[in-house]
Amino acid sequence: MTASLQGIQRRISSTQSTRQITNAMKMVSTAKLAKIQRSGDGYRVYASYLQNVVAHLAKAHLGDVSGTLLETRAAKKIGYLVVTSDRGLVGGYNSTLIKAVMADIQQRQLSKDQLVILAVGGNGADFFKKRGFNVAYEYRGVSDVPDFNEVRGIVKMVTTMYDNEVFDELEVAYQHFVSRISNEVRVVKMLPVTTDDLEAKEENPDTVPPEYDFEPSPEDVLEVVLPQYAQSLIYGSILDAKTAEHAASVTSMSAASDNAEEVINKLRLEFNRARQSAITTEITEITGGMAALED
Amino acid sequence: MEDAHNFKVAVVTPAGKVFDYGKATLVVLHTVSGETGVMANHNPFVSALRISEVKVKNDDEDYQELLAVNGGFVEFTNNQLTIVADAAEKAADIDVNRAETARQRAERRLKEAHDKREQDRAQAALLRAVNRIHAATGR
Repeated sequence: MTASLQGIQRRISSTQSTRQITNAMKMVSTAKLAKIQRSGDGYRVYASYLQNVVAHLAKAHLGDVSGTLLETRAAKKIGYLVVTSDRGLVGGYNSTLIKAVMADIQQRQLSKDQLVILAVGGNGADFFKKRGFNVAYEYRGVSDVPDFNEVRGIVKMVTTMYDNEVFDELEVAYQHFVSRISNEVRVVKMLPVTTDDLEAKEENPDTVPPEYDFEPSPEDVLEVVLPQYAQSLIYGSILDAKTAEHAASVTSMSAASDNAEEVINKLRLEFNRARQSAITTEITEITGGMAALED
Repeated sequence: MEDAHNFKVAVVTPAGKVFDYGKATLVVLHTVSGETGVMANHNPFVSALRISEVKVKNDDEDYQELLAVNGGFVEFTNNQLTIVADAAEKAADIDVNRAETARQRAERRLKEAHDKREQDRAQAALLRAVNRIHAATGR
């Protein structure tokens, strides 16, 4: 309680500058969030067209699917694409995701040699490498608002590895952006492509889809559309994860600023108390001295 | 609907709509099975595209636009033509110098390719670059 006035003052000003920094970081993340949300709109239009056509193909295409991305292979090796952030200061963003992935792995009782980890983002890469997992691919430095060209490299690599049977099934784990204050972990199977959810969605009565002619044949169209669809799904999840990262950063930085505010208030109170008691002591001393003189 | 002479054209990429035109009378596409022209009131169809040029025309208004499209597919319903590709550019927006360096790089890679996969990738990159140069300059 009797900390020196100067000491408290110093702590107040250092907390103040911390708050200034976290506040600035929050502002930066807010701006990035707004930007990525805008670019996400364009992607959603694109994805919905792809989904629509794939759903149609799934209905029309009843022939042989072997050799395409629809084919299910015996799952000897499972690939996990884990999308984390490169830097920290995002609250529980990375840890909850990694925990969920580990839980998923445990639940499916997969041993380390059945697993292939593909890490986008430094946090996940470091975690899995340190624990001796097979990290077959690692990508750091996804930009704040990734465009398709940038992610294309990642996506191509992932699909090529799948084609070369490095793994037979791909799970993509990422934080899905729900709202500015909450994210949700998703672990989604993306390869082989499944059309089950698409067909379910299509039963919506308000979107009566037209029947198409497939030229030259459904198989030929499928060959082009399926890889494009898989790539767009993976791109979408990276975009989604990045959006969630910015949102998590906003939340944690604003929590940090609020905390700093609280600390500053407490310190102010302490400072005032200390000052008050210093003044009281001084007055007592003076009056004591005066009383001694008067006698 | 029955007397529609023109139709809408949109080109959609992951970056959003890069092209939107309301009154096309003819669109020329290079599908995997060959070159086709699409006019208003065509039957609904879906077709895969080559890495190629797409020509959008309106003869009444003397309008013509050339686009370089990186594969993808085309969908036509209700007099609305939508091209869905992972990349597309208007010919006027193409940076010819960049495309030229991309072409040279792809040619070099193609020469140095060790296996089938590298070769395929270089080939695809070369096709893309050549397509963009062709759309922009006619060469």
